[in-house]
Amino acid sequence: MITVPRSLRRLTLGLTLAALLLSRATAAPLKVAYSDWPGWTAFAIASEKGWFKQAGLEVELLWFEYGPSIEAFTAGKVDAVMVTNGDALVTGANGAKNVMILVTDYSNGNDMIVAQPGISSLKDLKGKKVAVEVGFVDHLLLLNGLKKAGMTEADVELVPTPTNQTPQVLASGQVAAIAAWQPNSGQALKAVAGSTAVYTSADEPGLIYDTVAVSPQSLAQNRADWVKFVAVWDKIVAYLNDETTRDDGIKIMAARAGVDAKEYAAFMSGTKLLTLAQSTKIISGQTDTFGSIAGSSKIADEFNVKNGVYKESQPVATYIDATLTTDALKK
Amino acid sequence: MSNSPWFAIQHPLTSRRRFLLGLFSFTLPLILWCAVSYTPFIWHPMIRVESPGGVSWFRPGLLVERAVFATENAKALAANQPAATGTRANPVFLPEPHKVAQAFYTAFTTEPKLRGDVWLHESLWRSIQTIAWGFLISSAIGIPLGILCGAYALWSRISEPVIDFIRYMPAPAFGALAVAVLGINDAPKIAIIFVGTFFQQVLVVANTIRRTDPSLLEAAQTLGCRGFRLVLHVIVPSKLAELYTDTRILLGWAWTYLIVAEVVGVSSGITFFINQQAKYRNFENVYAAIIMIGLLGLATDQILAFIGKRLFPWETQRPSRLRAFIVRLFSSRQTPLTASPKSPAISPASTEARS
Repeated sequence: MITVPRSLRRLTLGLTLAALLLSRATAAPLKVAYSDWPGWTAFAIASEKGWFKQAGLEVELLWFEYGPSIEAFTAGKVDAVMVTNGDALVTGANGAKNVMILVTDYSNGNDMIVAQPGISSLKDLKGKKVAVEVGFVDHLLLLNGLKKAGMTEADVELVPTPTNQTPQVLASGQVAAIAAWQPNSGQALKAVAGSTAVYTSADEPGLIYDTVAVSPQSLAQNRADWVKFVAVWDKIVAYLNDETTRDDGIKIMAARAGVDAKEYAAFMSGTKLLTLAQSTKIISGQTDTFGSIAGSSKIADEFNVKNGVYKESQPVATYIDATLTTDALKK
Repeated sequence: MSNSPWFAIQHPLTSRRRFLLGLFSFTLPLILWCAVSYTPFIWHPMIRVESPGGVSWFRPGLLVERAVFATENAKALAANQPAATGTRANPVFLPEPHKVAQAFYTAFTTEPKLRGDVWLHESLWRSIQTIAWGFLISSAIGIPLGILCGAYALWSRISEPVIDFIRYMPAPAFGALAVAVLGINDAPKIAIIFVGTFFQQVLVVANTIRRTDPSLLEAAQTLGCRGFRLVLHVIVPSKLAELYTDTRILLGWAWTYLIVAEVVGVSSGITFFINQQAKYRNFENVYAAIIMIGLLGLATDQILAFIGKRLFPWETQRPSRLRAFIVRLFSSRQTPLTASPKSPAISPASTEARS
């Protein structure tokens, strides 16, 4: 009769224990990169109120500048990043595949083309210089506006500028207009007295959806956790939509951004926050228009390819997973 | 003393005058700043609207250029509307000194509003740590390598050409790469400071070492010292004071990389404060933060300078009570200043004993 040597039994026991410990270790917190946009800064409320913990989640919210947040995601150092649907495609085309699992809001005026005093429409920009962060979301806004005005990108001269520097560039008088989102667009309006927003995201609701984009690997491994994460969003929106708690919510967001609450409250009207039900409709919709994320992203994809932001058209459907919001709704 | 001339070529000033002039070099910019800020007729190209009158888009507190203000008012008057009123002001990027002083104070006294957030002094401490680590790592490798390059042609030819090439690559360009390799927390920030400092450091140190007095080397060799002991006991001690000064200058360079380093990865340190306040055009906070960095840099440098005087008293040309004190301090301990007391390397007795 062969008996298993004690040392071997011990070894197996040890290995089993180690495996158990390892599986614990893989349940690391979800690392989420976010930056200064009202629809994303709002997640600070959940963290401050302890809602993630209540949902049985460990979430590490990491505060970035927008550009570096995408870099961190591309480098695989975070599980999710908050980006616009257009930028999700750009990030994916540049090698960091991602899946949008939640639409937090759509830009409802916070993204703007701000023009010097005396310029009252996009048509007046013909042959003039426009400062924009090329390849980013407000480049898309500009192209969309030009198209509506019967022009193309060739009708204006683009001046590549980081978004956070656009107010200074407009104030310097060296360009006729800039394309930027809040707070930069609002600061540009303040910096140049008499300047106006000649075109904004409110003119094309749904052109810019703001989303939570997750790496396919993390989504596959922690799907249940991401469903919980999505469910917390509904709580945040409810908190901000409720008149009695709204101010407290904005206070937390302003504190996260490091500014006065009154100053931050001004950006809320340009951001249409979506409840989970509304978000589900938009993320699962299959329209060809801006009414669904599929439609909006398809249009963004065409813009991007046509304007050389990236070369090959992206398989838009693979960037969208509507099942998480539907699952979260059922709970 | 009072009738010695203020303008005398290469002649030291009295310590009283040195102090006064030093003080003046700080107050002069401040006086200019106050003058531009508080006296309207010097500059003040804008108007701060007080009451908008008949101009539809004017709001109280809005800053407009004077020309725009004038034309809008003319238009309003022509349309039989009341004129707007306002006071002359400077652009938003030039806040008044007292506003900056207030911002300086409130930045430190404002308590963090969110759980897990930090006070400003904690952010500053984080920045200092980032700098310190980047600089320490750079120095730990850079100074020895620089000494080797300065002493041996072989090491110099192996490393200096490529270092000379790499040092032209701007450190910020490595940002995304640093994140990919080192993650999002402090490591990539430290790496940027390392990249910004290291390559310059090797070249500067090597250059200093190369300028060792040849007669000193010859003397040591005549007395029988050779090999690496020449480097350790003759070259390095003779250049120690200069290496110290090099290090001080390079530490200043490390600080200049802080702002680029801290936007890499998660926002942190004093840079987060500066960026966020600039985004919302709270320029008095921005100035306050920039001045904080300046003060920190100045303070560190002064401390290092003080330590340097103690370490290398023979380098101080200017007679001073401090120096006399230090010289006395050292001479009372009868410590030789240039060579290590334990191994009098260039004494013939010791070389004989070891050969």
